[in-house]
Amino acid sequence: MAQEYAIELKGITKTFGSVVANNNIDLNVRPGEILALLGENGSGKTTLMNMLSGIYKPDRGQIFVDGKEVTIDSPEDSKRLGIGMVHQHFKLVDVFSAADNIWMGREKSGMLLKKERYAEIEEMAKKFGFDIDPKKKVYNMAVSEKQTLEIIKVLYYGAKVIILDEPTAVLTVQEINKLFQILRRMKEEGHSIIIITHKLNEVMEISDRVAILRKGEYITTVNTSQTNEQALTEWMVGHKVDLNIQRAPMYKTRPLLEVRDVTIRSDEGAVAIDNVSFYIRGGEILGVAGIAGCGQKELCEAIAGLRPIEKGEMIHKGENIVGLPPRAILEKGISMSFIPEDRLGMGLAPSMSITDNMILKKYANSRGPFVDRKTGRKDAEQVIRDLGVVTPSTETPVRRLSGGNVQKVLLGREIKAGPNVIITAYPVRGLDINSSYAIYNILNDQKQDGVGILFVGEDLDVMIDLCDKILVLCHGKVMGVVHAHKTTKEELGLMMTGALDLTHKYEDKPAGFARDSRFCTENRKEEA
Amino acid sequence: MKFHIVKRDNCPLWKKCCLYLAAVVIALLLGGALLIALGVDPVAYYTRMFTMGTIGNKIAYKVWINYLKELVPLALVSVALSLAFRMRFWNIGGEGQFILGAIAAAFVAFKTGAGLPNALTLILMCLAAMLTAGIYGLFVAALKVKFGTNETLMTLMLNYVALYVLMFLGETKADWNFFLDAGSARPVFASFTELASFPGIPMGGKFSLNICVILTLVIGILVFVYLKYTKQGYEIAVVGDSAGTARYAGMKVNRIVLRTVFLSAALIGLAAAFKVGTAGILSTSITDDVGWTGIIVAWLSQLNTGVIFVVSALICVLHYGSTVAAATFSQVDSSFANMLQGVILFLVLAADFYTRFKIVPVKKGGK
Repeated sequence: MAQEYAIELKGITKTFGSVVANNNIDLNVRPGEILALLGENGSGKTTLMNMLSGIYKPDRGQIFVDGKEVTIDSPEDSKRLGIGMVHQHFKLVDVFSAADNIWMGREKSGMLLKKERYAEIEEMAKKFGFDIDPKKKVYNMAVSEKQTLEIIKVLYYGAKVIILDEPTAVLTVQEINKLFQILRRMKEEGHSIIIITHKLNEVMEISDRVAILRKGEYITTVNTSQTNEQALTEWMVGHKVDLNIQRAPMYKTRPLLEVRDVTIRSDEGAVAIDNVSFYIRGGEILGVAGIAGCGQKELCEAIAGLRPIEKGEMIHKGENIVGLPPRAILEKGISMSFIPEDRLGMGLAPSMSITDNMILKKYANSRGPFVDRKTGRKDAEQVIRDLGVVTPSTETPVRRLSGGNVQKVLLGREIKAGPNVIITAYPVRGLDINSSYAIYNILNDQKQDGVGILFVGEDLDVMIDLCDKILVLCHGKVMGVVHAHKTTKEELGLMMTGALDLTHKYEDKPAGFARDSRFCTENRKEEA
Repeated sequence: MKFHIVKRDNCPLWKKCCLYLAAVVIALLLGGALLIALGVDPVAYYTRMFTMGTIGNKIAYKVWINYLKELVPLALVSVALSLAFRMRFWNIGGEGQFILGAIAAAFVAFKTGAGLPNALTLILMCLAAMLTAGIYGLFVAALKVKFGTNETLMTLMLNYVALYVLMFLGETKADWNFFLDAGSARPVFASFTELASFPGIPMGGKFSLNICVILTLVIGILVFVYLKYTKQGYEIAVVGDSAGTARYAGMKVNRIVLRTVFLSAALIGLAAAFKVGTAGILSTSITDDVGWTGIIVAWLSQLNTGVIFVVSALICVLHYGSTVAAATFSQVDSSFANMLQGVILFLVLAADFYTRFKIVPVKKGGK
């Protein structure tokens, strides 16, 4: 008799210290269905899936595969049972070819590399309808290709159950559609797919059923066709949430920060930002959209004075800031906060207390040789109170706080300094819905106070709702600046991949040049 | 029954102390087992070792004076190393910096000791030692800052360069070599006790407290304040935690690295000046391995300045005590202390693991 479930989890519990990551979770997946696992960050989705892929072991609970109880002690066990996971951060060897990456984990591959492996893997890819060159090295691949490779890898090992951890986070709209086609084809062939995500529209589009976790607890499983986004959000968050971001009205002022024809190199020496021009006015939010690694980081660092500018000009309130040291730029009121993937890499000292992090940018301003922690503590208390940071005390190391609170501390400090330009990259990276909205509100408040904001973001839906204008980057080049209320996700997606170039949309004015620029007229003549 | 490792959130202080204490006790028990195997009564040996032979000794004050002579360089070097370690600059060149500092101090003593008053000579010795050792450290820091070289390898290798310079001085009998005793036919280092020597402060009885002990304590307190309350100390902590963040906050990271490494190496040089200024003679074993032991002390104390003094005091008891005990128990060499120190370090690191993780049995079954 065919089993009803390909995978069944019963009463799975996993704790890390006193933190209960998963509490008594039941979950099941039928053969040939796509199950979406939905939950906010920190709700235990990835932890649960890591127990299926053998990275963690449950403290308690049972796992059934095809109706038989199993124990999964290692990734090998999981592979043998036909479970394959595509992790959020790809696990590939950069200098190897696609075929070698797949071949590497094969148990019976023996000591020697065989020539046929390319043909064998190409054939396999064709069978599933993938388009991939088995000889291509991973470091030459785009993100979507890497992801395809990861999927082929798990299929090659004969996985019947495929887990994808936030697969769409790094893809453009067009690439997401392609991925979903692949998933549907896999489903038709009888594979079970678990897709982890917190994007509701994707859940509605792709899944057959949705399982919802909240704060490590299992809430419910529902059929996708019988639910809607509002209901899912309420299950996920636990209370009603207003899903609309209010775009605050804009009071136009003259350009605060103007960037013209700027070229910046990456750490490797490649051109990361290529002849880019744009400007930010006081009281507006300019979004920067682009596929990950399109020069966003380099741009932010260059504005903050952390990276040399090879060519071009940057003027702030009419004054040139190219070549100034970071501290001088800071004193002009330009604040930069960049949330890297590990969330702690830049802007905060993770082992130090909130107080110590509050004084990071102004410790040198106090008189005498000693650090003024008293004001730091006061600032910390105020940020904790104003932004609702959850922490035992002001002396808790930032590392111990949860992601949302870490980002609130960072943003709180930046705003406390009273900047007139805020550069913020991925401020809601990895945050749950509530914290994200708290951050959007903070940014909107700042905007209404006349601060110019450069918002480097990932989620196009959010950017369309929050920003006034959106600048699209593709491989370091500007693809155009569009008005957020006039554009669509599809248009942005095409621009992000470089398929649509709107830089010459207006003939009288190049994109990114303000009509009332503070660049002096001689400059403009030269450029014209 | 299966077990797995689980991360602890927070370990209360008393539990930590208990764990570390247990580590030391287990190390002593293991040492005891070894002693029994050698046919030595461990209780008698340990008693002798931990009292350093002061009980029932008419000249116990001498023991204390010699003990402090060992303690001063070790404590000061550990404090100095902790400065660099705070910044995650792995200065394992304490030995080399110490040796160069010692040579510089001796140089000053031989050259100026006869003409100048004792106090002035001593101050000059300290300054020369600090400058020489500091520049030796600065060299490595500059290479790291400029070319991104690995400071661990560089400082390690420079230890041997310094050691061979010292050996060269010690074995080259020549007219220019004023470090050697002119009266001896064989190459031996000359003593300069009469030229310069750190004075002791009489403390009643025959015991006198060498001024270096007080200076070391004062420097310890200064370093504590420096690290904890000053802007420069704050910069060291930020650079150590995340150099990217430091740069982002507008700190001049390179300058901070150079400054801190110079300070760390200079303090090691000062320890060397204290050492030769009390010993009154150079020797190829002048360092007494403080450059190495200092690393262990700094780590055992988790870079906490106050704890460094406690730990170095205990390690010194171990070393000095084992030398004393070796005189009574001929079967046990004084290097027993090194073995014991190794076991303690190993077990303390294991205890450290338990302060951060715990091992729990896997519970079977469903709800």
